[in-house]
Amino acid sequence: MKHYDVIVIGSGINSLSSAALLGKAGKSVLVLEARNNIGGMASTIEFLPGYKCNIINDTIKWINPKLLQELHITSADLQIIKPEITHIALGENSKHIYFHRDVKKTANSIKNLSEKDANNWEDFTLYIKKSTEFLERLYQNTPPKLPNINVLEALSMKNMLNPIIKHGTRGIVDLLRTTPMMMLEMMDEWFENDLLRGTLSSIGVHHSSLGPFSASTGYNFLHQHLYSNGIIHHNTFIKGGTFKFAKLLKTIAESYNVEFKINTKVKSIKLDNEFCKGVILENNDEINSSIIVSGVDPKNTFINLVGIPNLNPNFHTQVRNIKYRGSIARMHFLLKKLPKIHNIPIANMDTMFSICPNIEYLERASDSMKYGCLADEPSISFCFPTIINPDFSSDEKHILSSTIQYAPYYLRNQQWGSETNEVLKQTVIKTLENYIPGFNKLIESCTIYSPKDLEKEFGISEGNLNHGEMTLDQFMFMRPTINTAQYKTPFNNLYLCGPGTHPGGGLHGTNALNSVKEILKN
Amino acid sequence: MSKINKYDAIVIGGGHNGLTAAAYLARAGKEVLVLERRHVLGGAAVTEEIFPGFKFSVCSYVVSLMKANVMRELMLPHFGLELLPLESTFTPLENDYLMRTADADQTYREIARHSTRDAETYMRFGPRMGQIGMAVRPILETIAPNAIRPSLSDLSNLKNLLNHVKNLSSEQFEYLTKLMTMSSADFLDEWFEFEPLKATMSASGIIGTFMGPRSPGSAYVMLHHYMGDIDGAFRAWGFQRGGTGGVSMAIARSAEHFGATIMTESSVEKVIVKNGKSVGVALENGDEYKSDMVISGLDPKLSFLKLLEEKDLPSDFVQSIKNFRIRGSSGKVNLALDGLPNFTCLPGEGHHLRGAISISPSYDHLEKAYDDAKYGNFSKKPFMDIILPSMLDPEMAPPGKHVMSCFVQYAPYNLKGGWNDSKREAFGDAVVNTLAHYAPNIKDLILHRQVLTPADLESTFGLTEGNIFHGELTIQQLFSLRPAVKWADYTTPIKNYFQCGSGTHPGGGITGSPGEMAAKKILGILK
Amino acid sequence: MIYKNNFHAETQLKLSPFFERTSKLNESQEWRRWSGYLSATNYELSHENEYFAIRTKAALLDISPLYKYIIEGPDTQKYLHRLVTRNINICKIGQVMYTPWCDEDGKVIDDGTVQRLSENTFRITSAEPNLEWLQYNAMGLNLKIKDDSKNTAALALQGPNSRKILNTVAKDSLDQLKFFWMINTNIKDCPVSISRTGYTGDLGYEIWIDPKDALTVWDILLEKGKSYGITPTGLHALDISRIEAGLILLDVDYISSRHAIIESRKSSPYELGLGWAVKMNKKNFIGKKALEKELARGPEWEFIGIEIEWDQLEKLYREAGLAPGLPSTAWRTSTPLYYNNQQVGYATSGAWSPILKKYIALGHLKSNFAMNGTILDFEVKIEHFRKLTKAKVVKTPFFDPKRKRSCPK
Repeated sequence: MKHYDVIVIGSGINSLSSAALLGKAGKSVLVLEARNNIGGMASTIEFLPGYKCNIINDTIKWINPKLLQELHITSADLQIIKPEITHIALGENSKHIYFHRDVKKTANSIKNLSEKDANNWEDFTLYIKKSTEFLERLYQNTPPKLPNINVLEALSMKNMLNPIIKHGTRGIVDLLRTTPMMMLEMMDEWFENDLLRGTLSSIGVHHSSLGPFSASTGYNFLHQHLYSNGIIHHNTFIKGGTFKFAKLLKTIAESYNVEFKINTKVKSIKLDNEFCKGVILENNDEINSSIIVSGVDPKNTFINLVGIPNLNPNFHTQVRNIKYRGSIARMHFLLKKLPKIHNIPIANMDTMFSICPNIEYLERASDSMKYGCLADEPSISFCFPTIINPDFSSDEKHILSSTIQYAPYYLRNQQWGSETNEVLKQTVIKTLENYIPGFNKLIESCTIYSPKDLEKEFGISEGNLNHGEMTLDQFMFMRPTINTAQYKTPFNNLYLCGPGTHPGGGLHGTNALNSVKEILKN
Repeated sequence: MSKINKYDAIVIGGGHNGLTAAAYLARAGKEVLVLERRHVLGGAAVTEEIFPGFKFSVCSYVVSLMKANVMRELMLPHFGLELLPLESTFTPLENDYLMRTADADQTYREIARHSTRDAETYMRFGPRMGQIGMAVRPILETIAPNAIRPSLSDLSNLKNLLNHVKNLSSEQFEYLTKLMTMSSADFLDEWFEFEPLKATMSASGIIGTFMGPRSPGSAYVMLHHYMGDIDGAFRAWGFQRGGTGGVSMAIARSAEHFGATIMTESSVEKVIVKNGKSVGVALENGDEYKSDMVISGLDPKLSFLKLLEEKDLPSDFVQSIKNFRIRGSSGKVNLALDGLPNFTCLPGEGHHLRGAISISPSYDHLEKAYDDAKYGNFSKKPFMDIILPSMLDPEMAPPGKHVMSCFVQYAPYNLKGGWNDSKREAFGDAVVNTLAHYAPNIKDLILHRQVLTPADLESTFGLTEGNIFHGELTIQQLFSLRPAVKWADYTTPIKNYFQCGSGTHPGGGITGSPGEMAAKKILGILK
Repeated sequence: MIYKNNFHAETQLKLSPFFERTSKLNESQEWRRWSGYLSATNYELSHENEYFAIRTKAALLDISPLYKYIIEGPDTQKYLHRLVTRNINICKIGQVMYTPWCDEDGKVIDDGTVQRLSENTFRITSAEPNLEWLQYNAMGLNLKIKDDSKNTAALALQGPNSRKILNTVAKDSLDQLKFFWMINTNIKDCPVSISRTGYTGDLGYEIWIDPKDALTVWDILLEKGKSYGITPTGLHALDISRIEAGLILLDVDYISSRHAIIESRKSSPYELGLGWAVKMNKKNFIGKKALEKELARGPEWEFIGIEIEWDQLEKLYREAGLAPGLPSTAWRTSTPLYYNNQQVGYATSGAWSPILKKYIALGHLKSNFAMNGTILDFEVKIEHFRKLTKAKVVKTPFFDPKRKRSCPK
């Protein structure tokens, strides 16, 4: 049997990026994927014959530019659709807010609701831009091993200096203030209009189990706006769906002789006295390699693949204490025809919509996480993939893809199943109906992914799309645990490259970039 | 009435921090005047006889965080500081109870009745938290540096702190990070399994804040409460003989002993500022006092937005103070009782009535109480931290009678529709009803009921929004950011105007620490 | 003179299944807390008779406060093998092993016995509660852990006559029961297990009993043992004999690494004289990696026995105008040990050994000074003043009679 330099477990964006980067560095790489296709959460599939959509992520918030550069990806290879209107926050009585790429236009749209907020808008975007610049730098580094940081590690953080020179220490102070904030607090400082406060807060809780009254949602807000240049609700789409990105990475990897095996589930990682020697597959075949890079989440990596008896008790505790808490469900509706949304011209429907009329609405929805029930009035964001990518539908029918927050992974007194899915579906339809009259009548069919389904389908613990909550106790040098935040694990030759590591979730490939840097260092 | 009207220093507010600062300054030979608006000293730490024969620690009710060196340096025991230990924490449940006492063995057994695992873990947990408390201490005892333009001493302080942090073990650092960022529920979930135990412990993470046990950041407040230090023993709560006012009186006597002048019923209207310098204060009655420096023990909003003119302050500073979050969330219900409450789950008189009684049977109980408040209502079934001071000090009530002090959460300052008399009574009823669920005889015992809403706390004690900590203890309001960046070292943008209240580093509680550190900073003892 | 009393007071301490008897026998009314139980310190006004019962007759001790756990299931052997430092794979049914167990840094958490009751059932005893640690490390394994502390009463019958007494009351003969083995048998009609173990360093047995049978067993032992000098014995006498036997005591001679809040309070097995119980040829166990490293560089500390030399001690007392006066019970205050005026260790417990007529102690010593025969200075306080007196490092156990291990021919 062939011996590989590297085995990559999983084939999500980070795994693919790692494989490509390691291949580029001359390593012989094998990628093992348990599912029948690559891409992980970047999955654009024909969920019904003749109709395609992105099962998980409709949009891409940001991609690390360094990744594109390293893998020579040009805008011709990866076509990114950047609608001028990046987002529409649906309001009552057709008073919507349009978020434009142009700051002034957004301010104008806000003006209809609040003059004061419109005046604050530009300052707010600058404030966010400044803070994200620091984060962009921070994200380029492997987190230092704290508390006992050595000089070399401290020096490696020196690229943090640029934004300091540019914005002064005040910028750092602002960042320090913003990250632990709750969205409520940030909104209180800036805005008064309910709809604006609600829709901005929904970014702070994006894919999180926390509500907008929870500290550190400010950090998540920033995380969603890296490389956004101050464009709030920075939504972009990939032409052909997110899977195109995965496919492209695979093609590049293959050009570096990286090999792929799908339908190949890894059962365990072969260990010899804390040295990883390779992997054992479900069918008990063994494949040997010098290095193993895991793109699956930390719980799967350590508890399932390495195995509890191999973890020392303290590390075991740390791994068990990582919080996942899936909080969203995805729902895809096949519609007989394109619906009409109050007062929105068809030309503007090629973007994201959100239903989150005010911040309290969002917080109330988040209470369902605490009590393990379904939210009566969930916050919903949705888009029409068939408008953004017209070839997703083979006829005049349209698709509405929606993200429902909050749908807790842990339900009390009931299990996820067809019954709960149906309840959830009716709630969503009812909510959508308020903004899209007659929506119910347009539905031809509906496909639901509860957090349980997401876990089962994509192998992500508790259906958390970030491979671990994006909170400050799981941030940077604490992600995924204090001893493994440098992508290295307690097991020799085993590395992590998934979103469970710094700097967290999203289809941006930064985790892979940093991880590969560490792997090649050794 | 004092004859002179020119002082070295004027302290605004006779709360325990103001008095502490005054005592330290007087001890250093300064001519100090303390001006208190009310007829009694002590700010939130006062004892009043609201109902004949019954003495109440009207607002603050336990002492745990008073710094040992402040007690010694100001000779407080000599001036009447007498702290009686609160022995236990008793959590009544449906048909059962949870009890933790000063005896480790007994606590082990009591917890083991519910969960052996937790009983064992509990034995490890306390010392661990103590260690973390130790690790945090040097940070609390350092003047918070100016993060924008650090001075040389700031840099050297920072360097010392960095070295201190570097020397922590990875485990300590991990816990410290978690405590700074997590919710108390999440933190405790990592250790324990028995919910009433977790809920009761998590309650110290919500006291005085507008957070629920599942709100990130509440773990820090829990740690803050773990730093209580009486007789060197961590997590030791105490009750001042004669009521909490006795603590303030002891500090006041100490200050007077060192030569400070204290005037009550002297409400300061404005700090007089000339050419960017404070030169004295003007009282509401028109009197003026001159002094070389003015120190405010009030909260940041009052210190800057009320006592000063906005135009005298830099605009970004005004913005920061406006953004400083002070969110009143707690009320206080004081009861004069005809006898002792009888708990269904543990009938009769017993040790459990000598300690704290915590109405915190589950996370849900606390969270639902918080949910009510976050949407603008007072809790229908609130969380309560109760003590019976007369069980510790019989002189608090006539023979055979008792006083009961209930600290209640949540009662939002910004109640929907605002607070009024009927809302206040409804809130009082909610408290008594919740209590009666566990001790049904309570309703028949009440001789007198005093209900203090956050609005009352504000109007009576001058606590903005009724917040007992002078500002939320969240990360973005700690250390160099408390109350505002650049001005976290007790100085202010106005020359010779200083702050020493709980709204400064290291925060609230009857610690005496902000007062002590402000005075030491002014005197150049701390840099 | 016997003073009759009818008083009784309620207590918040736990009472052992034998308390109905022990409370009536305790003439001194001296009690000590042991794991939350009320335990007799000494039954008579002085513990001397009880001590000599251990060494010359038979002593009966109520050891029910010990923590006992039953571990059962197909993975139990694998689990214990990973948990403790000794080789559980070679532990046969009916065999008992004394072993420490460590955290992942190789520091001792507790020590106790592992008894193999059947192929897949073990009992583990410990000084402190250990359920949390036991359960935690069992995650993902097919086994069950039961806290059996309350469900098993335990007696120790220790001393040269202990076998004879048991032979008169037990259904089976104990003549062939070897040191650190156990059998299941009956006493009267009560099923019991008897292990040839103990904490005295003498011939002795520990009897594991269903609590409902506790009083029956106690009564028959006292009745049949009377002619062999059976003596209810308290903790004072036990403490002296365990020091003579060189056996360590948790929280006195060392601190559990789970509870030590600073590193320097933790000890590895090597530092506690338990190196013999660490089986490095095992493939893996908790703490192995750290212990391998420690073994490679040599442990920093060693646990040693010392003998305080008598002549000089006597001289010091003489100078104060006194005859040598030593505490009659074992002491537990940490006492400095010096070498050339430099502190190189500390004794953690010590006692005058009535059987050896020697003043002995156990302690921690920096490894460089831990060779047998090294002469140290031991700090004593004579008439309020600190003095130094010579003490010699010696091998433990101080007292090790053949009968402890031997079987009758």
